[in-house]
Amino acid sequence: MTDTPLAAESTAAPLPSAPTVLVEFSDAVPLATVSVALRSGATEDPDGLEGLTRLSGRLARRTAGGRAPREIDAAIDALGGALGVDTSHSTSALHGTVISRNLDSFIDTVVDVLGRPSLDEAELARLVRETEAARVEALDNDRGVARHWFRRRMFAEHPYGRSVVGTSRSLAQMTRTHVQHHLARTWVRGNLLLACSGDISEDKAREIGERIAQAVPLGPATEARVPEPVGPVGRTLLFVDKPERTQTQILIGCLGTHPQDDDHMALYVANTVFGGTFTARLTREVRSKRGWSYGAYSSLPIDKQRRAFSMWTFPKASDAAACLSLELKLLEELVERGVTAKELAWVKRFLVRSHAFAIDTASKRVGLALDSVLYDLPPRYYDSYIERVNAVTLEQANGALRRRLTPDHLLITVLGTERDIGGAVREAIPHLATAESVPFDRED
Amino acid sequence: MTTKPRQAARARLLARLNESPPPFGRIEHRGTSAFGPSLSLERFRLANGLELLLCEDKSAPVVAFHTWYRVGSRHEQRGKTGLAHLFEHLMFNETENLKSGEFDRRLEEAGAESNAGTWLDWTHYHVAVPKSQLPLVVRLESERMGRLVVREPQVQSEKEVVANERRYRVDDDVESSVSELLWATAFQTHPYHWPTIGWMADIEAFATEDCVSFYRTFYAPNNALLVVAGDVSERTLLPLVQRGYGGLEPSVIPPEELRPEPPQVDERRREVHKPTSSQKVAIGYKSPGLGDFDYAPLTVLSEILFGGRASRLHERLVRELEIASEVRAFVSPFRDPGLFEIFAAAVGSHTAETLLSAIDHELAMVREQPVSEAELARACARLELGGVSGLETADGKASTIGFYETVLGRPNAAFERLDALHRVTASDVRRVARRYLIESSRSVVLVRPTVERGTEAAQ
Repeated sequence: MTDTPLAAESTAAPLPSAPTVLVEFSDAVPLATVSVALRSGATEDPDGLEGLTRLSGRLARRTAGGRAPREIDAAIDALGGALGVDTSHSTSALHGTVISRNLDSFIDTVVDVLGRPSLDEAELARLVRETEAARVEALDNDRGVARHWFRRRMFAEHPYGRSVVGTSRSLAQMTRTHVQHHLARTWVRGNLLLACSGDISEDKAREIGERIAQAVPLGPATEARVPEPVGPVGRTLLFVDKPERTQTQILIGCLGTHPQDDDHMALYVANTVFGGTFTARLTREVRSKRGWSYGAYSSLPIDKQRRAFSMWTFPKASDAAACLSLELKLLEELVERGVTAKELAWVKRFLVRSHAFAIDTASKRVGLALDSVLYDLPPRYYDSYIERVNAVTLEQANGALRRRLTPDHLLITVLGTERDIGGAVREAIPHLATAESVPFDRED
Repeated sequence: MTTKPRQAARARLLARLNESPPPFGRIEHRGTSAFGPSLSLERFRLANGLELLLCEDKSAPVVAFHTWYRVGSRHEQRGKTGLAHLFEHLMFNETENLKSGEFDRRLEEAGAESNAGTWLDWTHYHVAVPKSQLPLVVRLESERMGRLVVREPQVQSEKEVVANERRYRVDDDVESSVSELLWATAFQTHPYHWPTIGWMADIEAFATEDCVSFYRTFYAPNNALLVVAGDVSERTLLPLVQRGYGGLEPSVIPPEELRPEPPQVDERRREVHKPTSSQKVAIGYKSPGLGDFDYAPLTVLSEILFGGRASRLHERLVRELEIASEVRAFVSPFRDPGLFEIFAAAVGSHTAETLLSAIDHELAMVREQPVSEAELARACARLELGGVSGLETADGKASTIGFYETVLGRPNAAFERLDALHRVTASDVRRVARRYLIESSRSVVLVRPTVERGTEAAQ
């Protein structure tokens, strides 16, 4: 049974002299969206230069065509546009939206970012200072701080453990030469993809592709070889100590799957039963029955290698130990007993029907097509989404839970005020192997 | 279908539906209006006072079904703050025909995206579904409008959840807690004084009777608006709405007990200590309501000064002086006069006073010198982009329509506003700068860190 079209139907048109172009037309609103994406991200940052990919993209954006940053920003604004640089561990993109009547002028700036950035020294120094100030300001965000520490410990020395933004130490090391070399290696034709959506025709998209091809040098796609990460051994507590917290941030997790993994779809479906909806087990037990946390979810992001499965709650300080204890019990029960046939049937209906909102706009449809290429997803990964969800059996779902989730080997990150709740939190974790406490503002 | 055949088809449909309607289910067509260049809005009304706006849009096979109640935190009393928001939570609980948890479960099974929001002037429930699931949504939404069950265990549990939401959003969040203090300082008589989420003591003190009384008073068809946008025709929608809502009785909505805020004649200044890494400042100037003629020019002024990296304040404070890591502003979109709220975070050891002084300097400039045509054009283009971006999905259209209808009574005011922005002149901008950016009637919160950075080094 399907309520919606099966999947995105983006046009993929490989061009001999230009990047691959993905197009999804819609005139629902007079906006055009353009994404110039790279097949590489922050895992390409050299050792000691964490943050280089992000910083390089942002510096190019600020110095496009040798113009002053404010001049560039004012020009983009005046077109009714927005242009930013997004960086993740595995990809990065120059991403823009503009009122479609101004598309041609907007593309002039995009081409200048890619082909004629001055990479001005003074601007680099300023950008480093601004990045450092923003990094310090981000310490006010408890959720962000907890997630940062969870990722750092979960992936340790693995590239996924690196900071995309960079550290004080790495940012201070960066020079114009580093940026130039990085862009020369990664901003090359073979490493780029162009995705266009909205009020933009296929012909116009091809024309933009040709212009971008002229702006960047020939060069191959980067061969990013990300090793398989190693998960936690035993139960490890990382207490992130921050003063005056009335509430905690709790993240519990282990390694998850990646899209090429045979268990991937089955685990994705089983995780949705556990913590992927508002009525899932985790939310029901933590929020609905006990009122302990405003939110309670589990997630299973995808990447080229296994990322982390994680549960996230944020109970008040005095409920933290009890909430943590309950979450561990729920996870153990999930792995031991699995999901039920009734739960599986229900969640399939949810996943199949709600897929309508993954593809209800042109920008979402082209986004899925783009991800398919950037993350080397299996053929027809999104096109066959509904049939793959429907094909998951109870045995597969519960087998995936047993094989992939490891309740005896977990990283437990708690952000709170250790003096108030540290002891209770440690006591709430049976078979705790190691415990560590770090100040919330320490650089790791 | 062209206009005349469409009108004839509607007349036949309404005649059929009104032959033997439910007690309060007689439907009246109240008019057609344009919604942007290519869509239209049809307005209907049931005999019980329920308003319905339909925006048919076949760009995706989904439907957004939004319910707006004309009740927000402005309708609360001191000592009972946060009731409208707590009630928003309770609306996802038990009804006469659905046990606790079933409402969400059925919606999720239908593939719905749903949530709710409460603010000063309104409460908003939004659901979007694949179009085949619309009948279910109408059944569920009408069920909770008329047949919600409010009992002690649910009230106690949701009070806990809301208290945790408050800790998350306000108590442990520096910027939100500062904003809360700013509004409480700026408004001392008007209900905009208290936060929509409510004071913690009030949240903890709510009794079940408070909630029952609130429901009976405000959750009635004559205090509600339905907005439906997406791939649905009136031929499909109207019978569903009539069946779902036609049996619900209207209530007697009490006149609003609202006391206007007296003019502020002195600057009010507060200083707080927070566990944060840098000093901060929040400034609130009294601003006009959303429907005021000055709202558009003030929005343009805000964009020129604070909107994006090319804005005057970003350029001056972040780039040139390097005293701020960020600076931004927000003109409140409320029915009554609110705040033009400015927030800035210092870099390193710079103080809140340094930030305030630099901001004051820029505001003095804009009161004296007219802004340039290029600045006007930039601001309008940014606002146009923001406005159009919000209309891409069915959900976005329904939100926009419902918001403007609930606050201003004009569902297509989003487009009127875009037109108004383009008419704003440099003279308008200087006039509103002089009229609203008055230091003697502003409120200021200065934030000092309680945390010394570098705890690692101290160990």
